[in-house]
Amino acid sequence: MSRDPHTLAGAYALYAIDDARDRLSFEDHLTRCAECAEETRGLRETAARLGVAVGKEPPPALRERVLAEIGLVRQLPPAVTAPGPRPVSRRVGWPRVAIGLAAACLAAAAGLGVVAYRAEDALERERLGTQRIYAVMAAPDARTVTGKAGQNVTGTVVMSRSQGKVVFFSTGLAALPESETYQLWRIGPGGALPDRLTRPDASGRTPPIILGDLGDATEIGVTIEPAAGSREPSGAPLMVMSLPSA
Amino acid sequence: MRPRRAAPVDDGRHDQPGLEKLLERVARGDRPAFEKVYDMVAAPVYGVALRVLRDPAQAEEVAQEVLVEVWRGAARFEGSRGSGVAWVMTIAHHRAVDRVRAAQAAIDREDRVARLEVRRPYDVVVESVETTLEWERLRRCLEGLTELQRESVTYAYYGGYSYREVAELLKVPLATVKTRMRDGLIRMRDCLGVER
Repeated sequence: MSRDPHTLAGAYALYAIDDARDRLSFEDHLTRCAECAEETRGLRETAARLGVAVGKEPPPALRERVLAEIGLVRQLPPAVTAPGPRPVSRRVGWPRVAIGLAAACLAAAAGLGVVAYRAEDALERERLGTQRIYAVMAAPDARTVTGKAGQNVTGTVVMSRSQGKVVFFSTGLAALPESETYQLWRIGPGGALPDRLTRPDASGRTPPIILGDLGDATEIGVTIEPAAGSREPSGAPLMVMSLPSA
Repeated sequence: MRPRRAAPVDDGRHDQPGLEKLLERVARGDRPAFEKVYDMVAAPVYGVALRVLRDPAQAEEVAQEVLVEVWRGAARFEGSRGSGVAWVMTIAHHRAVDRVRAAQAAIDREDRVARLEVRRPYDVVVESVETTLEWERLRRCLEGLTELQRESVTYAYYGGYSYREVAELLKVPLATVKTRMRDGLIRMRDCLGVER
């Protein structure tokens, strides 16, 4: 990364920074430099003009296909960007009882204090398989490993060999454009197996998610991928957490 | 901060009045509004995918993904952070470039650099693009750049190359490419009179 990150504004607007870490640290820089953010916005508008000027009518059948497909696609809710309390009905806290066991091992390692995560809504919470997550975090053989990417990004993996499962959550990951997602990988002797996709909420946390069966995985990696996820990592991982062998 | 919404729009197709308003309606599940959005942005979306990917079948696939994504993610569009067209075109350009990069990831990096583009992305675009007012205006501004600025900007945008790859292809230092991309785009911005 350059010592003078704002020179990357042009490359960023042209999507020419292919290293995810560089892109993240540039975005991090934008949050601290209003002038750079303003310039980047103008350059992004300019880059869009390069695209608009080369427009070409697509085949007419595309319209029908797109209109048919949107009938099957559920729309995303608005991103909650303003920090502050949300309506109580949407707040999903970690029950205190369940935290008891898990917090003891987590709080120290992850530096989170209290593992309080608000899921987007109750449906989402169900999908997350909260019970299974608790089971891993509270398992007698639960081990916690953290990974760092830069100063503010911490990924935490809680592993239970007896359950054969791994839970991942993180703080500090930068927001991504809609076209991208964070993806987890279980890395073992056979290479990287694609796992869950995750996105940070407005406070930069990703919720605890349970990954696929541990198998012979020795590491958990995090990459940035196109929104639909990838079968193989498309770039170097942002961070890798080595799983304790015993 | 400069006023965005209140400023008069200029004459390009890209900022037809109302795209932002329409996206707000799309976010609420308004299908007729989406059809209007489709009619405004389908050509730019397909066009950029076609220039980057060069293959009409793949460009059509990417355009479909992008347009569905516009429907799916309309609620995530924030007018305070940029225009509607920049939001849509960013999704389209990223998707198209991601696909090029995914395809290239399979190729050994050495080969990739060795596979020196015989044809410059800008030349390919010039040959294939439809001559519209929009294009003529852009072209005039592109021609006003230094050669290195123009190459840096067009290799990245139309060729989907990263700045590191552009540096290797053009045999110039990384820092120079970064700087040329930035000052080239700034000159384009001023030449096009892009509202900031």
